[in-house]
Amino acid sequence: MTGTSPTLTEVSRTSLFRKLALAALVFVFAALSLSSVLAQQHLSKRYPVRSNVRVELKNISGTITVESWNRDEIKLSATMESPAANVSPRQTGDGLIVDVMADNRGRSDIGDVNFKLQVPVNSSVDLETKRGQITVSNIRGGLVRAHVSSEGDIELNGISASQVFAQNLIGNIFFDGNFSRGGTYQFQSGKGEITIRIPSDSAFSLVAATPTKRIALGPFWNDGLKNLGDGRKYTGDVGDGRSSVMVTTFQGSITFIRK
Amino acid sequence: MNCEKCQDLISDFLDGSISHQDKTTLSSHLAECLHCAEVRDDLQSIVGFCRTQQGQYAAPPNENALWLRIRNMIEAGASADTPAPAGTGRSFLGNWTARSWELSFPQLAAMTAAIVLIVSLSTAVGLRRWQSGALNAGIQSSQHSLSIGAVDVRNRISQQQQLISYWNQRVEYNKARWNPQMRETFDRNLAVIDQAVNDSFDSLSKNPHDEVSEEMLNTALNEKLSLLKEFAEL
Repeated sequence: MTGTSPTLTEVSRTSLFRKLALAALVFVFAALSLSSVLAQQHLSKRYPVRSNVRVELKNISGTITVESWNRDEIKLSATMESPAANVSPRQTGDGLIVDVMADNRGRSDIGDVNFKLQVPVNSSVDLETKRGQITVSNIRGGLVRAHVSSEGDIELNGISASQVFAQNLIGNIFFDGNFSRGGTYQFQSGKGEITIRIPSDSAFSLVAATPTKRIALGPFWNDGLKNLGDGRKYTGDVGDGRSSVMVTTFQGSITFIRK
Repeated sequence: MNCEKCQDLISDFLDGSISHQDKTTLSSHLAECLHCAEVRDDLQSIVGFCRTQQGQYAAPPNENALWLRIRNMIEAGASADTPAPAGTGRSFLGNWTARSWELSFPQLAAMTAAIVLIVSLSTAVGLRRWQSGALNAGIQSSQHSLSIGAVDVRNRISQQQQLISYWNQRVEYNKARWNPQMRETFDRNLAVIDQAVNDSFDSLSKNPHDEVSEEMLNTALNEKLSLLKEFAEL
């Protein structure tokens, strides 16, 4: 063996280089993360409105969250994945319209746009997206419509509207609320579980259908309900049938549970 | 409820003389069936129009002037023709062209309506034949196992399939612009809905009179149509 052992100066120099390389690596990662955060655009706007306002939102892709609050104004927050995305809300006489589809016509991919809306409790909300989850909480207006053209869960919590429409293709639908007298309630999924949680004294006229035969009416089952197609469809009145309820899923279950 | 029953009830439904049970069933069918919803809309607009007019239909503005213009045009046309020599040897065509075509306004209106009807019918028949010829391959693949007795069901399915085929072409045209994630989403969702359509077809082929399967098929086809329409605009 003819090799010489490294001196103390050489050891400390190597260690210094290692530390510098590590610091540079950390810096590069931090810069990349920061640039991706900065690339996202944020939009936050407030609109003074009356209490029973109508909000229409047509998104392409991304989540939509709607909550109620005790103010006569709408707060809209949007996070846009791509800087190319354009969101131009329009305030109308009876509410607010946000149409991402129209605002970005002719543009190429604009990525996800995630919305959060805070609206007066008596608002009507009409929400559409091609893809993404829709969550609506504590709304007591005339209409709650949540339409996902393809995949995305729909979660409606604390809803007391006279018209509720929830539709998606792949994804679960959860409804928690009340059925009001004379109201219309439609829930439709292609491949997803539909769960409806309502008070035990709910009265409605039911049409529930799924080829999977997985229909669990729980405490709302009664002898007056007609079983059609060997358990694939149930129709009839629960209570005095004051509201109309239609539930359909092609590949999933339908479950009614008591609040 | 099938379409035949639904269309029997639509008139009573519009008059408000229908039971609550029937109303619920009918409403759910109308929400699912595009064809019956169109019938309901047509009937509703006719009934609405009749109710508004209450049997008093407005004459066209300046009726006399309109009639005079028609009369002048007919006379101008007749005088331009060379009069055929009077005699017994005139041909049928000669007699027909030489005849003075003075028609009353109702006669003219009826004639115009008849012409419009004939043209519309022949166009519709021609279009249907052309479309069914062009799209036969697509329809046959999904319908080969279907042996439903009811012709109206088959017609309705065929009409829906034609619409689906049209929107499918639009989607294919625009698909190149979508990002890969959106394309995957669309394909995945289309597969789910196609599965539902095929399951309903299978079920109907085993039991052609199964109303639940018929309704499911109808809903699935409408769902497919709306998926295609919504993605075609992307």
